[in-house]
Amino acid sequence: MVFNSYTFIVFLGLILLLHNLPFSWRVKKINLLLASYLFYALWNPPFILLLWLSTVVDFYMARLISLEQRPLRRKLLLTVSLVLNLGMLSYFKYGGFLLENFTALLSAVGIVFQAAKPDIILPVGISFYTFVTLSYTLDVYRRRFTPEPSLLNFALFVTFFPHLVAGPIVRPEDLIPQFKTPRRATAEQLSWGLFLLSLGLFMKVTIADGLLADTADLIFGLPFPVQTLDAWTGVLAFSGQIFCDFAGYSTCAIGVSLCLGFVLPDNFRYPYAAIGFSDFWRRWHITLSTWLRDYLYIPLGGNRHGAVRMFANLMITMLLGGLWHGASWTFVIWGALHGLFLCLERLWRDWSANRRVRVAELAMDAPLVNRASVIPPLSFPNPFTKFGLALLTLFLVNITWVFFRAPTFDGAMLLLLSMFGIIPNGAAMLTNLAILTVGLVTVVLITCHWLMRNSSLLNLSKRLPWWVLSLGWAGMLILVILTQKSSGSFIYFQF
Amino acid sequence: MAKRIGTESIRQLYISENEQQSLNTLMETPHYQKAAWLTLILVLTFVVGWEWYWRSQNHALSYNDDESLWASKRKQIYQSSPARLVMIGSSRIKFDLDLPTWERVTGEKPIQLSLPGTSPRPILTDLGNDPNFKGTLLIDVTEGLFFSPTGSFPEKEAIKRVKTYPNWSLSQQISFQINRVLEDNFLFLDDLNLALNPLLNLFPVPPRPGVWGGPQFPREFDSNDPDRQAKMTDAFVADTALQNRVKGVWLEIGAHSPKKAIAGPPLAAILNETKKSVDQIRARGGQVFFIRTPSDGPYFESEKQMFPRALYWDRLLAHTQSPGIHFEDYPTLTRYRCPEWSHLSPSDAIPFTEGLVPIVEQKMGWSLRRQPAAMPAETGSFSR
Repeated sequence: MVFNSYTFIVFLGLILLLHNLPFSWRVKKINLLLASYLFYALWNPPFILLLWLSTVVDFYMARLISLEQRPLRRKLLLTVSLVLNLGMLSYFKYGGFLLENFTALLSAVGIVFQAAKPDIILPVGISFYTFVTLSYTLDVYRRRFTPEPSLLNFALFVTFFPHLVAGPIVRPEDLIPQFKTPRRATAEQLSWGLFLLSLGLFMKVTIADGLLADTADLIFGLPFPVQTLDAWTGVLAFSGQIFCDFAGYSTCAIGVSLCLGFVLPDNFRYPYAAIGFSDFWRRWHITLSTWLRDYLYIPLGGNRHGAVRMFANLMITMLLGGLWHGASWTFVIWGALHGLFLCLERLWRDWSANRRVRVAELAMDAPLVNRASVIPPLSFPNPFTKFGLALLTLFLVNITWVFFRAPTFDGAMLLLLSMFGIIPNGAAMLTNLAILTVGLVTVVLITCHWLMRNSSLLNLSKRLPWWVLSLGWAGMLILVILTQKSSGSFIYFQF
Repeated sequence: MAKRIGTESIRQLYISENEQQSLNTLMETPHYQKAAWLTLILVLTFVVGWEWYWRSQNHALSYNDDESLWASKRKQIYQSSPARLVMIGSSRIKFDLDLPTWERVTGEKPIQLSLPGTSPRPILTDLGNDPNFKGTLLIDVTEGLFFSPTGSFPEKEAIKRVKTYPNWSLSQQISFQINRVLEDNFLFLDDLNLALNPLLNLFPVPPRPGVWGGPQFPREFDSNDPDRQAKMTDAFVADTALQNRVKGVWLEIGAHSPKKAIAGPPLAAILNETKKSVDQIRARGGQVFFIRTPSDGPYFESEKQMFPRALYWDRLLAHTQSPGIHFEDYPTLTRYRCPEWSHLSPSDAIPFTEGLVPIVEQKMGWSLRRQPAAMPAETGSFSR
């Protein structure tokens, strides 16, 4: 079930009703769990078995790990959990990709091997719930979290429908404690939750699907070069689409949870106002980037073993992060580019810090006026410089989106060459209306991100008169109703 | 009790602000509830006003001819019979064969799977590959679309629809049923004409030189019913200016289409592919026949020029060893005029369909018409 469907509106109404009836807390949790299974089963019922398997195995493995004191046995139990979770993920998500590359490799060394193309359907949300259960088992193994004694609480933690299929990727400490005590949203929380749900639907239905998707699909689907304007418009359309689609989902998930009295972690914080790639990853898909950092980058050694190891760890983390998004080399390249930009940024920061120290040392010996004119520009860039750096970051992020969205490497290169005018005489494909729409949405999006980069929606809403908030809210809902595109799947469901 | 052990994760820095604010600060800001009520009033006012406006404009009720409506018909194909035909094709058969008339004459309502502006070949392939389809298939041939090259836009669009059917989830099916109830009651839920994008298209933005934004039909052109029957609206039938606009659209499409028809090996491949699917259906006991519905004026002339009957229609029937009904061969089917050169008006679709039934009976050796003698007996049995 998707948030942008009539089925979900009815479903949410029933859940809210059940959640507010005078049942015991245990009954309410059972209601939520059954509802979550129904939410998932309405896509493809058999895949619910995988969810159960993952839930039961990780629940009991974590308990066994916590009871076991012998390091080797603990490792063995952890391995069982990892093999099961990552095995399922690998089979369903990477089976075809691995076979395809294995065949290509054999072919490259002259061995003819024709494997039947595996007909594997990717279970919705498997990448997300696998990471959720993994974080639990790993935290218990690292003794950072005591295992949850209640299977009901644990199953609800894994399956809670708002985050189940596309995040935010919750950690045990985010959600399990919230299931311990009865929760019911106050009228204010319910209202704010509904506002967030409306905002998320507006981002998804009106902006991503209604205004941007057709342009992005057209340009990325063309097998021939296009004019530079068309190429950039297509990429900017996808840039806006992927943000509004995914952040829209997260906003809906957070809003729906709040309607029930639960709080989910933030997943986006105005990423298109990021200054640099490390800042970008603090703002984009925050729950994935922090997951990768805590369970991959830091265990690999992080920055604790010198610069070379740190760069290698960064690259490994981002390559695997790319592969997490999809079984394709284009996602690997996307991850590699992000890794590369993070490394370059790190080098620049180190160089800049060293230079500051040197300049400061020189300045200490120089006259006062000289010190004042040399140091500040390096340390405290003015707002225009900051904005320029944010635009540069966004420019580079857009380059990486080409690989993320293009169906093939050749398609990505064709579009990149078109973007930089290297292929002359490309076709003009987009109407003026499409170009204007994408341009307008992009400008509004960047402006909003820039103005909000150090703030939050909640803070903004508190500053606004209530009727202004209401006008904005009604405007969004009216546009959602007018757009009329319901049931369109979210892009991140495929990951 | 579960608790967090160990050092504070840096991640906490990112999420703590929101987590704390969400629950704590909300208690201090009591205006969300007021905002929610005003929003509800504003949205309901808009919905009522918007619906009232379109009713006052006499906008025709039209159901969205989307993936779900198509999938709901695709689901019914296993109950097909000669009287309960499955029809695939482009837009012409959707306008020209009047489903209520066919039902009145034969007692059964056909299943309409045709897709406007597309080639029916991907659907034919799909039905050929479906081991459970053993019914009766009528394929409408609009040469420019049926013989469109592999990988062309008309083929891709049909493939998209075919691919969505196996993934038509339970959730989408429930949404479809809810949507049907809403569409029964609200005119403004007309995705094709009154959604945000068609409304944006009304903005007077000058065209970009060298770029064609696709066909822009007037909103009065047609409406679609829950059985996927397309009909020209009364306003369209009455207004020659609107008809001329659609004629202009056909000319535009012609100007942006390939100037030469497919021929040689690509045509042979299309014919072979069609024959394969037809044979697959026949091997399971199913039946297939073709129809060429009327077109008119310069449109028909250009079709005849690009796709001479002997090289395309006749060859298609011969290659697939299938019966076919070409409107030109039957005086009862040739007496109608297409107001915009390509489709019949609703008033002509009725006698056209009445005239078609005996032709199908004669061509296929079937008996489709309800036996007049049987009708009172049936009525009698119902009355008891």
